[in-house]
Amino acid sequence: MVTHEEVQKLAILAKLFVADEELDKLTKDMEEIISFADTINNASVEETNFDNINGLSNVFREDVVIPSFSREDILKNAPDNDEGCFLVKKRG
Amino acid sequence: MKYELVAGFETHIELATNTKIFCSCTTEFGGEPNTHCCPVCIGLPGTLPKLNKKVVEYAIKAGLATNCEIAEISKMDRKNYCYPDLPKAYQISQYDMPLCQNGYVELSSGKKIRLNRIHIEEDAGKLIHRKGDTLVDYNRGGVPLIEIVSEPDIRSVDEAKEYVEKLQLIMRYIGISDCKMQEGSMRCDVNISVRPVGSEVYGTRTEIKNMNSITFIAKAMEYEFERQVDLIESGGKVIQETLRYDDVTNTTSSMRGKEDAHDYRYFREPDLVTINVPKEQVEKIKKSLPEFPTQKLKRYVEEYDIPNTDAQLLTKYRKIAEYFEEAIDGIKTPKTASNFIIGQIFRKLENEAEKEEFNIKVSAKSLNELIKLLDSGKIKMNLAKSTLDKMLETGKNVYELISESDMGGIDDNTLLELCNQAIQQNPNAVNDFKNGKVKAVKAMVGFVMKNSRGKADAVLAEQKLIELMQ
Ligand SMILES: [Zn+2]
Repeated sequence: MVTHEEVQKLAILAKLFVADEELDKLTKDMEEIISFADTINNASVEETNFDNINGLSNVFREDVVIPSFSREDILKNAPDNDEGCFLVKKRG
Repeated sequence: MKYELVAGFETHIELATNTKIFCSCTTEFGGEPNTHCCPVCIGLPGTLPKLNKKVVEYAIKAGLATNCEIAEISKMDRKNYCYPDLPKAYQISQYDMPLCQNGYVELSSGKKIRLNRIHIEEDAGKLIHRKGDTLVDYNRGGVPLIEIVSEPDIRSVDEAKEYVEKLQLIMRYIGISDCKMQEGSMRCDVNISVRPVGSEVYGTRTEIKNMNSITFIAKAMEYEFERQVDLIESGGKVIQETLRYDDVTNTTSSMRGKEDAHDYRYFREPDLVTINVPKEQVEKIKKSLPEFPTQKLKRYVEEYDIPNTDAQLLTKYRKIAEYFEEAIDGIKTPKTASNFIIGQIFRKLENEAEKEEFNIKVSAKSLNELIKLLDSGKIKMNLAKSTLDKMLETGKNVYELISESDMGGIDDNTLLELCNQAIQQNPNAVNDFKNGKVKAVKAMVGFVMKNSRGKADAVLAEQKLIELMQ
């Protein structure tokens, strides 16, 4: 059982606003998602190593510097910038 | 009632790799804002992290240097929280399978501060708050960190200070971080609780975040200890919360808000594969580590006959220990080298930072040459001392400062002659001596030394002078 409070808590953690009238529907959706996860949990998987499901390990990169992007490019997609920084406006 | 302090540390240390943990941007400190960035470290959608091999190697070194077990299999996880310093809204860290576990750091008292774990993760960006708005610089974002988590084994502010200093020294010794607290490459979160002395149960703890100076750590701990004791004594209850220390007012205050979001919803990082560290690799890294200060100390005392307190000074910083070991190569009296370093050379160094830098004009090889001349009897101690002073001033080596003719000391006849001269030319000192002022002879020894240009043996000269005056 998923409660309205749990959905609200998740919304707050994800910085989302959820109106009261949306709660019923979202709570039902969340219950379906979780019951789907339960289906997976009930599958017989004794032989499977979930810590390493793709059978790969140790994919590394050498510690060699590659020049970074220009600041212009880095800031290009930012809604706002100032003094070479991303600008996060005060809320409200 | 008497209370005791119970504290544990979470210490973040930036690793001295060339590149960030998941991309090839430089980790260099400073730089214009957002000039050490790429799509990976600013968290653009569709980018993929690629783990820096050096980060794993350095973290294993840190683990070995603190007596940890190195996990054969570990993995990365996502720690979710929304804050502007974290562009992906999650930090890639390690949750339930850290790289290193179950270590300890030994204090000078012999007490072991147990380490729960050491894991690797990425640093966040830097926030600059300005009139309600926030400016974000991601140069530091993605710089590799290790987080060292201790058990709550610390019982006093002094133990806390020693623990932090020790970690700093160890990490610098093995060369994985410069641990500069003022630049933020080492930062501590301190968990504090209090309990009546003798109690086995832990009290409710608070956590002081992001401390970047040992002095502040000490002050904050003292303040927080008093605050909690006062609270309990007055019938109140300590609330588990995250605190910020204000070094201006020397108080702690609640960081509520960020604390509410303490639900990180960890899950495995699907973009990175398992880290597998075979035993052979651990062995290989173990062999590459320098000898640790405690091992060195033991060896200096046992093999070189250096007093324990002196050996501590020599082993405290890696550069000094290396200098000492080079300087005693092939000489009979390591103790002489130790005395020169701790005496005349240390006098040139103003503070601990300068000792750690150990930037002096005399190379270890030059000191070695000087001691060899002393060992072979070609020069006497007082000439060696005055020459070392000149070497420290000028950077010249011993052969540039003393000629062959200065070596070999002086013969007995010359010494006798110089002593007679000293007696003739210092009638006042002779009188003083005859009237029982034994110290007067020192002035005359000085005269002999000066006139022999430091070549005479001061002990012999003193004996001779006394003999002549009696
Ligand atoms: Zn990058």
